[in-house]
Amino acid sequence: MSAVETKSSTEAGEAIARVGHAPGGRSGHRDTLGTAMPLLLPAFAIYAVFSLAPIAWTVWLSFTDSRGLNTSAQFVGLANYQRAALDPLASQSLLHTLQWLAGHLVMAGGLGLVLSLLISRLKRSRIVFRTALFLPHLVSLAVVGVIWANIYDPFYGLLNTMLKGAGLGWLTMGWLSDPLIVLFSVNLASSWQGFGLYMLLFLAGLQNIDHSLYEAAEIDGANGWQRLWYVTLPGLSEVMTFVVSLCLINGLKGFATVFVMTGGGPFYQSELITTYIYRLAFSLQDHGLAAVLCILLSALAITVTVAFNQWRQRAAR
Amino acid sequence: MLRRTLLATALGALASANGLMAMTSLASAETLVMWGPEQITEPLIAELWNGLKADFEAANPGVTVEFMPPTGTISNGAVQAAIQSNAGPDVILTNSGIARVSMVVDAKLIAPLTADYTSRGWDKQIYPWLYEELKRQRAGEIYEVPDGLDVLGVWYHKDMFAENGWTIPATYTEFLDLMQKIKDKGIMPVAIGPRTGGSAGHLFGNMLQSASGTETVGKALAGELAWTDASMLPGAARLRDLVDKGYIDKQMAGLDLDGASRLWFNKRAAMFVAGPWFTANARKADYDLGNASFTAMPSDLGAGKPTGGVGWSWMIPTNSKQPELARKWIDFILSEPVMKRRAESASSTMLYPRALTGVTPPTPILSEIFAAAENGVGYNPSVYLPAGVVDTYFQVIQGIIGAQITGEDGMAQIDAKMAEAK
Repeated sequence: MSAVETKSSTEAGEAIARVGHAPGGRSGHRDTLGTAMPLLLPAFAIYAVFSLAPIAWTVWLSFTDSRGLNTSAQFVGLANYQRAALDPLASQSLLHTLQWLAGHLVMAGGLGLVLSLLISRLKRSRIVFRTALFLPHLVSLAVVGVIWANIYDPFYGLLNTMLKGAGLGWLTMGWLSDPLIVLFSVNLASSWQGFGLYMLLFLAGLQNIDHSLYEAAEIDGANGWQRLWYVTLPGLSEVMTFVVSLCLINGLKGFATVFVMTGGGPFYQSELITTYIYRLAFSLQDHGLAAVLCILLSALAITVTVAFNQWRQRAAR
Repeated sequence: MLRRTLLATALGALASANGLMAMTSLASAETLVMWGPEQITEPLIAELWNGLKADFEAANPGVTVEFMPPTGTISNGAVQAAIQSNAGPDVILTNSGIARVSMVVDAKLIAPLTADYTSRGWDKQIYPWLYEELKRQRAGEIYEVPDGLDVLGVWYHKDMFAENGWTIPATYTEFLDLMQKIKDKGIMPVAIGPRTGGSAGHLFGNMLQSASGTETVGKALAGELAWTDASMLPGAARLRDLVDKGYIDKQMAGLDLDGASRLWFNKRAAMFVAGPWFTANARKADYDLGNASFTAMPSDLGAGKPTGGVGWSWMIPTNSKQPELARKWIDFILSEPVMKRRAESASSTMLYPRALTGVTPPTPILSEIFAAAENGVGYNPSVYLPAGVVDTYFQVIQGIIGAQITGEDGMAQIDAKMAEAK
C-alpha cells in the first residue's frame, strides 16, 4: 500500500471509530436497537404488568382513602402518611421488624455457618448430615408455624414437657405468651426453616478454599481457632456477603410464621410490618394506610441493601 | 384437492358447532357456589349438608350446588379475598355480627337484602326482635340473613363437679370462692384461648355481662356510654383479677381455641366459656357430651344471663354470578322443613333465628343452652362492636390475660377506638 492509501485508510478508520463501532456507524446502532426492542417488549410487558403497575397502583393508593377494590377512592394527599407517622403500632411494628431482621441474621445465618464448619470436618456421612439438616428448608413456613406452635404449647408442648422431664421445670415458660420472648420464639422457628440454604452456600464456599493455605497455616503453628480466623473466614468472605444479603431480604419478608403462630400478638408484641400491613389491608380494609406501610417497607429494604453493598465495597478496597 | 379442502372445512365447522352446543348446554345448567359450611369435613355435618344440597337440586332441576370449604372468616380477610378473586362464591355462610358485616359492607363486597326481607317474606321468618335489631344496625339497610344465634356461657364437667361436691353458685363472689377451691385441687379453674379472637371475646363478654348487666353493656356498644365509665370497668378489672389470682394462667395468652379446649376436654381445666357450636369441637375430641353441663356466668346483679348475638349469617356477594339462585337458596334454608331438619340433626350446633315448635334438641347440653337463653341473652361485644374497634378489643383481652395491661388501660384503649369509629 502507498503512503497516500495508508493515510486514507487510517483517516477512514478514525472516521469509523468516531461514529461508532459497527459498520455503518449511528444508523447501525439504531438498527441494532430496532431489532432488540421487539424482542425485549414481551419481557418488558410482563414486568410492567406484574411489577411496575402494582407498584404504581400502591403508590396511588397511599394517597387515597381506599376501602377496597369495589369502592371509590378519593385523593387525600398526605393524610395517610401523617397517620402512619403518628400511629404507635406502625413504629412498634417497624422496631419489631428490625429486631426480627437482626435475629434472622444471627440465628439462621449463624447457624448455617456453624453447621457448615462442623459438617466440613466430618470424614464420613457428610452427605447424610447435609441432607438431613437441609430438610427443614423444604417445609413450607405455614406448616413450620403450626409445628412449632404445638412444640411451644405451654401445657402439652414438646419443649416444656421435655424440660420438665429433664428436671428443668424452672426453664419452662410461655414461649408464645411472654411478651419479652415471643418474637424470639417465632424467629427461632422461622430460622430453623431457613438455615439449611445458608448452610449449603457456606459448604460450597468452604470447598473452594485452597487446602494449601491450611497446610501453610499449620506449618506456621496456627491452632484451630487461628486457622478459622485467618484462613476460613477470609476465604468465605464472598459467600458471607451473599448470605448476609439473602438473610436481610428474607428477614424483611418475615410474615408466615408470625401470622400462623401468634397473629401478631399477644397484644401486638410480635407484630411485624408485614403482618400489620395484612391486618390493615385485609381485615380492616384500610388500603391507604397499608399502602403507605408497603412503601415504607420497600424503602427500608432498599436502604438496608444499598447500605450493605456500600459497606461491602469499602471493605473490599 | 379443492373438494377435499371444502370437505375438511365443512367437517371442522360441524365439529365446532357441536362443541359450541355442548358448551351452551353446560352453561345452561346453573351452579350455585356456597362458601361454607364450617367443618364440612366432619361426617355428621357433611351428611346433613349433602342431604340439603340434594333436596335443593331435586327441587330446582338443572341446578348444582357446590360447597366451597371456608379457608377463614371475615376477621382474617379470607371471605374478602374469596369475593375479590372474582372466582368466589355466589352465597356465603360465615361468622357475622355488625363488626364483621360492616367490614365487607364498607368494602362494597356484599349486596343489600333489605327489599328481599319484605318481598320474600324473610321478615316473618326470623324473630321480630332480631329483624328490628338488624334494621337498627345500619340505619335500615340489612345485608345479612341470620342463620344461627350464639349463646355463650360456662361449660363444666358434670362428673368433676359431682365428685368434688361443687355447684355453680348464684353470685360472682361465690363464683370466686369456687374457683379457689378448684385451684386448690390442682385443676385450672378456667381455660381460654385468646389467640383466637372469638374465644377471647366469649369469656370477656360474659365477664362484662356479669359485672355490668345487659343495659349498660348495650349502651357502651352503641357508643352512648364510655368504656371507661365506672359502670363498665368492673368486668375488665375482674378479668385481670382472675389472672393475678392464678385462676386464669397467663401462659394461656399464647393459646388458641384448640389449645385451650384441649385443656378442658382433658379435664385439666374445670370450666370453659363457649356456645352450642362447642358440641362439634367436643365430638371431634371424642368428649362425652352427656358429661357436659352449661350455665350462665353468675352475677351479683341478679340471675346470670348468657351472652350472644347473631353468630352466623348468609350474605350475597355483589359479584355473585347467581344472585337470584342465591336468594332461592336462602328461601330454602329459612323454610320450616329445612330448619326443623337442621335443628334435629345430631350435628346441630346453634340457636335458630326463629322459634321452632315440636323440635327436640339432639343432645341434652343443647336443651340446657336453649333453656338458659329462654329469657334472652346479653350482648357478645365481639359481634356488636364496630369493625375498626373489634381488633383492638381482642388484642386488649390478650393483653389483660398476658398481664401486660390492667383492665382500666384496656378499656381506655377500646374507648379510644370507639371514639375514632364515631
